[in-house]
This record gives sequence, C-alpha cells and structure tokens, in this order.
Amino acid sequence: MNEGNIVCTVCPTSCLIDAKWDEKELISIDRAQCKLAWGYISDEIFDPKRVVTTTVPTETGKNPLVSVKTAEPVPKHLVLDIMDTLAVVQAKGPVNAGDVIVADVLGTGVNIIATSNSD
Amino acid sequence: MRTEQVDVAVVGGGPAGLAAALSAKESGAEHVLLIERGERMGGILNQCIHDGFGTKLMGEAFTGPEYAQIFINRLTNTGVNVKLDTMVMDISSDRELVICSSDGLIRVKAGAIVLCTGCRERTRGAIRIPGTRPAGVFTAGVVQEYMNIRNLSVGRKVVILGSGDIGLIMARRLTLEGVEVECVAEILPYPSGLARNIVQCLEDFEIPLYLSTTVVDIHGIDRVEGITLAKIGPRGGIVRGTKRFVKCDTLLLSVGLIPENELAKKAGIKLSPVTAGPIVDDHFQTSIPGIFCGGNALQVHDLVDYASMESEKAGRSAAFFAGAGKLPSPSIKVLPGQGIRYVIPHEVSGNEPVDFSMRVKSPEADRYIVFKQGEKVIRRMRQIELAPAAMIRMRVRSDRFQRSLDSLTVEVAD
Repeated sequence: MNEGNIVCTVCPTSCLIDAKWDEKELISIDRAQCKLAWGYISDEIFDPKRVVTTTVPTETGKNPLVSVKTAEPVPKHLVLDIMDTLAVVQAKGPVNAGDVIVADVLGTGVNIIATSNSD
Repeated sequence: MRTEQVDVAVVGGGPAGLAAALSAKESGAEHVLLIERGERMGGILNQCIHDGFGTKLMGEAFTGPEYAQIFINRLTNTGVNVKLDTMVMDISSDRELVICSSDGLIRVKAGAIVLCTGCRERTRGAIRIPGTRPAGVFTAGVVQEYMNIRNLSVGRKVVILGSGDIGLIMARRLTLEGVEVECVAEILPYPSGLARNIVQCLEDFEIPLYLSTTVVDIHGIDRVEGITLAKIGPRGGIVRGTKRFVKCDTLLLSVGLIPENELAKKAGIKLSPVTAGPIVDDHFQTSIPGIFCGGNALQVHDLVDYASMESEKAGRSAAFFAGAGKLPSPSIKVLPGQGIRYVIPHEVSGNEPVDFSMRVKSPEADRYIVFKQGEKVIRRMRQIELAPAAMIRMRVRSDRFQRSLDSLTVEVAD
C-alpha cells in the first residue's frame, strides 16, 4: 500500500489530505473538509487532470487575443501538447465566450472554448 | 460644470464595483451610477484567464473573464448607468464627485458612494532591491496584461521574486508559453500564495521555490543579464556565503498588493495602518457617513468570491443610506488579539449577523479562532490549517453579540 500527502485543489481551501492507495484504487483519505476531495485525490493518483487556459489570436476584433480553455479537465500529460496545438490556431471572425475554437482537441473528446468575447 | 444627482455612485467597475452596483440597484436605489476608468468592465478579471474563480460563490470554477461576464450580464438591463473611460478627479466628504470623460467634467451629487478602487502592485522601489536599472524588471500583473491582453512577450528566461498568487499564476503562464522560469524566490520561510497554486503552478512544472531567499542584486545595463539570490536569516540579514548569480533576462515581482485609496484619503476617510484600507463597520461604511468601501480597496483578497460578497453588502448598505440618510451606528469595537493580524469589519452594531474576515500573523496548525467579549466566548471555530496567505471568514449570529460591552477580541487559541 502507498500513502502520502496530497493537496486537494478542487477549491481554494486547499486541504492537505492524508491518502492511502494500492495499485488499483484509493483506499482512504483523511483531513478532507468536504466530500469532493475523494474524486479529486483518486484522479490525482491514477489519472491526474487539469483545465488548460490560454489565449489565441483573433482575426478581427478590437482585442488581439481571446482567452480560451478546455471545456473539461484534460489528462495532465497532454497539457503541453495542447499548448503546441493551440500555438498555430487563430480564432476566425468575431468570437463570443462559449464558442468552440477547436473541437475534440487531440482526440480527448474535450473542446477548446472561448472564455471571452473578441470585442 | 454640469451637475448630476444620483442615489448611489460606485467608483470602479471591477468585480467589487459590479457587485456593489448590482446590489444597490436590487436593494431599491433608483439612480445607480457605475464609474469605470478603463474601456470595459470587469477590472483585473479580464487579464486573469486562469480558472478557479467562483467556487465559493457559485460552486463552479470559472475563468476571470467568465466570472466578470456573469456580473456584467446581470447588470445589463437593470438600468444601472455605466460610464466607461471615466475618471474620478475629486471627491468630498459631503458625497460629491467630479468625474472626467470625453463628455467633459461633470459634478455628481450622490446619496451614497461606494469606493471599489481595487489595489495596486508593489514595485521594485517599494522593496528597494539594489542593483542597476535595466529593462526587464516587471510586476507580475503588468506581465499578465502584456501576455493575456496585448499579446506581448516579456523575455525568454525569468526569475520570479515573491510567491504571491499572481507570481505563481504567471510562473505557469510563462512556462506554457515556452518561457523558461528559472525559479521563484520567497523572502519569507513559507509561501505567500495559496497551496492550490503552489501545486498547480509550480509543482506541475517542476519549478523550484526557494524559501527564505530574496534578490539582493540586479545586473545588466540595457537589459537584465542576471540577478543575485541570497538566503535570508531569521533576523532579516543575508546569510554569509549564500549569494549566487542566476542568469536571466527578466525579473518578475510578485511582492504584494496595496489597496488603492487616494480618493478615500482625499475625502478624509480614516485608513487602517495594517490593511491600508478604510476603517469600516459591518455595513462597510467608512469613517465618513454615506461613503462605503468594498473589494481590494478595503483589504487585499485571495478570492474574488469574497470581494463580491463583501461589496454586495456595501452596495446594499449604500442603497439603504441613500434612502434613509443613516444606518445603525456601531457600538462594539473589534480588536485583533493574539496571532491575528487584522479583522474586518473594525466595528459592529451587533444588531445583525456579521461575516468577519481576518488574517493570521503566521502559519499554524490545528488551532481555534476565538471571538471573545470580556471573558465570554461568543464564537469559536477549529481550523485545521492557518496561513497568512489564506483569509479566514467566519459568521457571527446577531444573538451572540453582547451589546452591553463595547469591544470584541478575535484571537488564535488552543
């Protein structure tokens, strides 16, 4: 069995969790202040995920950039690959928050969506 | 000069100002004026493209622009009069403002004013780093604006001084954009930012964080060519033999934020020497009746959610004052006791429940925050982890206050 301290980053409270796990699953957590910690810690051990936020240039619009994000958390090991993919993307036409900028990025099933308007 | 009469004037269109204007309107103030010096609402949230905003207020994580847009959408069609590109030039204690825009100067007579002017970054000058004065020394928030709004790059190899949240966020942002972040140095023996940001912004990218370490020299004539780092001892001096040169072309400073209160000072509002924000009661009313304050102008927040909640109350109180001409006067002074750096509000009436916010002086584990009046404990809450970086919020119900006593002490205790 493995054990260690993991900071839960679901919310800013940032609980420092004492976790125990084996090869297959999370066995116990201690010091969590809410029930969301279980899912996060389990993911963090077996399949860590992050939301990627960045910007892409706009074609038109008052602002040179629109901010974008992965609509869902994506596997952590893909974060830099997603940045590489987005490095050559330019948003077409006027963009509104929520618009899909890249569909199904790197086959993750997750869209890259705008989080701000282009003007 | 043209004169306009309004019920509530809100200065600043960032998250605090948006919440204050909305709640003033929703609380019945008819003419609400929101004054923003920039070209759009949302304030600093527009450049905070990372996510994690709103988890306390809305139970969901948004990016900064998304969080701002929720409030901007709610404001649309409420009838709140928004003036962008407009600067407040003058303010008086009898609630008159002089504002300036392309329409010229306008005098605004307000029933109540809410100051939501936010905060400013501490600079190199504020912390007196020795060395040359080359290009390439930036505050973290400026770099955030350059990268996220203006599409400008600031350098190739960066050292970050200060482990405040913006510095940590920028460490990740720079790394994602292909810039090499050499390290983050923090003069204190513990991080100044939230644990969440240490994990997601530094540990995820294996960026080293050196505690009890600071920049003691900056090198380079035209452009930064490197900096000297050194260990700092417990009494604040450089530890002998620990100086080392780090090559870099950019130094980012994330060394603290200071509430912006030039207007408050002009109006004669009393400021706290600890927070650098106004002294307020539980209605967020300052020492001048009818002038209120919320958000980072009052105290630097780590979470926008609480800046919004606080300003919502400030806006509601302002609407009430504009209608009734007064508010219940506070009779209980709130004093920071053992282990507490400050508590807001600074005084309360005791007639209503109060959400207190406070910061501790140093990190502690498994202690209690205790509210005491005389010898009587009126509220007590266990805290697993206490850190100066994490603001503590605690509600005290109105029936707990001992209104016969004129003070209340908040302390860290066993």
